[in-house]
Amino acid sequence: MAPKPKILIVDDEERFRNTMRKLLSIEDYEASVAGSGSEALDELHKNNYDLVILDVRMPEVSGVQVLSEIKKLDPTIEVIIMTGYASVDTAKEIMKLGAYDYLLKPYAISELLEKIDAAYERKLGRRQLTEP
Amino acid sequence: MAKRLNSRFFPYIPSVLVLASAVLTGVFSEPWQAVVLLVIAGIAYINAKGTVKTIDKAEEACRTLNEQLCRAEKLSTVDELSAGIAHEINNPLGIIAQETQWIKHVFKSKSLQKLKEIEDCADSLNQICMQVDRCKEIVHKLLSLARELEPVIQCLDLNELVSQMTNIVKKEMEERNIKILMNLETNLPLVYSDPPLLRQVVLNLLINAAHAIERDGEICVSTMAVSPQSVKVIVMDTGCGIPKEHVDKVFTPFFSTKKQGKGTGLGLAICRGIIERLGGNISVVSEFGKSTAFTIHLPINRIPQGDILHGS
Repeated sequence: MAPKPKILIVDDEERFRNTMRKLLSIEDYEASVAGSGSEALDELHKNNYDLVILDVRMPEVSGVQVLSEIKKLDPTIEVIIMTGYASVDTAKEIMKLGAYDYLLKPYAISELLEKIDAAYERKLGRRQLTEP
Repeated sequence: MAKRLNSRFFPYIPSVLVLASAVLTGVFSEPWQAVVLLVIAGIAYINAKGTVKTIDKAEEACRTLNEQLCRAEKLSTVDELSAGIAHEINNPLGIIAQETQWIKHVFKSKSLQKLKEIEDCADSLNQICMQVDRCKEIVHKLLSLARELEPVIQCLDLNELVSQMTNIVKKEMEERNIKILMNLETNLPLVYSDPPLLRQVVLNLLINAAHAIERDGEICVSTMAVSPQSVKVIVMDTGCGIPKEHVDKVFTPFFSTKKQGKGTGLGLAICRGIIERLGGNISVVSEFGKSTAFTIHLPINRIPQGDILHGS
């Protein structure tokens, strides 16, 4: 079986993040959840993750802040931005800050899986480049 | 009303004053004096009439500007509202979509497959998915209305663009016995505009025309140069037409005469938004029960520096 990334799902909607975890588990992806930006950063300090699926609009610490913190912590962690937010342009702006891709809510599961695989492939590719 | 009366009688006032003062002072003793006075009164009348025309024109311009301002204000409110609504709706929709995906997965379990009612449940679930997609589409349309569309200006052949769009709908039209007539001006100048945005508008007008006809009818698409600076595209159909009282409202967001669930009432509002952002205008003429014609005026926008420019 192809290696699967370790994923952290960050969304302030409890039901959303938990069901996403369940859906990913059907496809054999290992995922954890965080309900806020600060919770996510704590988790990322404690454990290693390959990929973060991050909601843009969250109270207190916003997705954009979390993204820049993640990139400071470990630039090789790939981030997929999730948004129900009005403007695709906003999502594109956030991608300029280093996110790998964006996902518009409501999304199709196949779309999510494609993006996860592509992001993980990139991470693996980068690792191969840096490792001797 | 009083204003209209004033502007009707105002041109006579200077002439009447001249003649009245002449009569009162008794200058009419010699015939030549009377002739001179009449000439002066005539000149006074012509001048006053000219002044009234200028005032009327200024008033008309002021009215048009006010209308444009009102429309712009309305649209900006819609923009803000729709951006907010889109966000608020997309989040719960995201949850609904995920939950249905999960239930679909649960339904695959062998113990549930034995249940007689499972097919009914699966059918309901598919219905939920379809309705989520429908909401998604509405929100998507709201977003394109709200989004600040930044046109990317490119050189384009309007005849070619119109032909491409009619080709897309041709097959469906044939099935419904709708003829598409093309009346494209040869040697139409190339236009500097945004091709995908224009395609969206033309396609929208063609689909609307087909909806208006339903079955058996004609759609005529014409292009022509209006002046060295502008061209126009007309999409005319022999459909049901628009009732007189609705003609002014067709470009208003959320206005739709289509059956519930068939139209969002945003298509033409988006079309107008796009055309205005491209520096043109769109208008409609309709005869209820007979025909409707949408006309797009577009600037040619000759750009000497090159073919591609960003931003509007």
